[in-house]
Amino acid sequence: MTNPAVAVHGLTKIFSVPFHRQSIVAVKDLNLRIEPGEVYGLLGPNGSGKSTTLKIILGLVSPTRGRTEIFGRDSRLVQSRDAVGFLPENPYFQKFLTGKETLRFFGRLCGLRGAKLKNRVNELLDLVELSKARNRRLGTYSKGMLQRIGLAQALIHDPKLVVLDEPTAGVDPAGSRDIRDLILDLKRRGITVLLSSHLLAQAQEICDRVGILADGVLVREGHLQELIAIENQTEFVIADASDELVREIESFVNRSRAKLIERRKSTTTLERLFLEATAKNDEGVTKQK
Amino acid sequence: MTDAEHASTLQPFNASTSAKRYRPFSFSRIYAITINTVTELTRLKVFYVLLIFALLLIGSSIFMAQFSFQQEFQILKDVSLGAISLFTSLLAIVATARLLPQDIEDRTVYTILAKPVPRLEYVLGKISGVLLLLAISTVVMGAAFLLVLYTREQAVMHATLRQMSGAPPDQVADAMRTIRSSAFNIDIFPGIVIIYLKACLLAALTLFVSTFATSNIFTIVVMAFIYFIGHLQATARDYWLQEHSSGLVTRVFLAVVALFFPDLQAFNLVDDIVAGTAISLAVFAKTAVLGVFYTVIYTLLAAFVFYGKEL
Repeated sequence: MTNPAVAVHGLTKIFSVPFHRQSIVAVKDLNLRIEPGEVYGLLGPNGSGKSTTLKIILGLVSPTRGRTEIFGRDSRLVQSRDAVGFLPENPYFQKFLTGKETLRFFGRLCGLRGAKLKNRVNELLDLVELSKARNRRLGTYSKGMLQRIGLAQALIHDPKLVVLDEPTAGVDPAGSRDIRDLILDLKRRGITVLLSSHLLAQAQEICDRVGILADGVLVREGHLQELIAIENQTEFVIADASDELVREIESFVNRSRAKLIERRKSTTTLERLFLEATAKNDEGVTKQK
Repeated sequence: MTDAEHASTLQPFNASTSAKRYRPFSFSRIYAITINTVTELTRLKVFYVLLIFALLLIGSSIFMAQFSFQQEFQILKDVSLGAISLFTSLLAIVATARLLPQDIEDRTVYTILAKPVPRLEYVLGKISGVLLLLAISTVVMGAAFLLVLYTREQAVMHATLRQMSGAPPDQVADAMRTIRSSAFNIDIFPGIVIIYLKACLLAALTLFVSTFATSNIFTIVVMAFIYFIGHLQATARDYWLQEHSSGLVTRVFLAVVALFFPDLQAFNLVDDIVAGTAISLAVFAKTAVLGVFYTVIYTLLAAFVFYGKEL
């Protein structure tokens, strides 16, 4: 039996408040198992314990009770991080470094040298489409560019698990879609992705399984399709249906014991509308120039 | 970016670029953090301190041209070595105070420690970066000082030769020897080494304080207190020992005080150098060992506190 990518056993984290007798329970008796190759979404409102859970998995914070493992290794051991890449929420990388210098620095920390490091840096700058901005200092990068360079540094040592804390927080829809595409690409490569988010629509697009945290407690967990399916309802999406065909379907449903709950025109998503509109506008600006 | 565009831009990961496997202790990781720290501090323009030093040096040498050459060389050495000591101490405290808190505030520490980097290596890399920066600064300031001293010595020698153009050669040679011995003194070099070690000690102590401090200002204020107490503690200790018995309890108490408030006056050899008193090898070795010992102890204490820190 293969080791899970991430295993969390009975995890509890209590933060004591200095000079006060009270304490804050950030995570309570949490159990998780994430299989290799999965995209797992840890969802929940702000302050629900998502970031704390990720930090404990990465060995940045120690648990009050319980333990966490990465591919069978205790995550408090430094060598367990050999298999992990991490993108923190709103990363502020060292602004005095350029994109290329940032990746070279993180590559050196992971034991890469010489031509190997150079090739890897070029490969990742291409991957996140920052090759043209490679010699610009990070202080001049936009939010979306910072997230992409953050994702590149997380991948520098070819990890088997990538942990992303709110990967699209504060990023515009186009940047957000780029990051979503990169995550889906990681999945195609067989890399396990554990991400935390409170953007539910996006999590729905990319996650295989999700867990929902509320006040540090895992209140729901399972395969996304199973969790969101409504057992006794079925949807049809029909293109080019005539009014007559629609009326026939309705009368057929009415004659049966089933009940028609809603009939509406299909709509596009607001995200798709935004992307199409801004893409056309960009083309227009380019033509005017 | 559409899926089709992605498919054309993404290259599969190349197996030849995969990273080496984890080693429990790695000098190359420490080196990477050291160079990163030096780059950070350099780009923060801390070297402006050196510019101030150069201006001070040039300004003082112009001002001193009115004194006799013995006085001029004495004052030049006094002012320059004092300034090197003050600027390296200031640089050590101010540059180190921000290193760990800033990395934690900016969350850059998360991305570094989420890589296979032990916390001990992170702390060692940070302090090594500061020590390297202090070494560069001390060498630059020391070189500027020696250059000004040499230039003034040559100017005085030329002026004296002109004045003694008709004097017997023995008298001229004596005069030249007197000028050289007033200007250069071999003890300048161990003196500068001790000034550097004092700055290293202060940097390590600042790093230790910053591991549990709540802000940069707190660290700098605490270090300012330690700096002044450190310069006064030897006098206070002698006074205490005169008034009280030197039993075991007293000695342990004084050792604990000395651990947190190092005797910084012991590193002040400038007065001896200016007065022309020779610094014995024993004094130099004892002071150097003390500086290295304190630097190592404070670095290990900083690593110990940082090891258990919740990030």
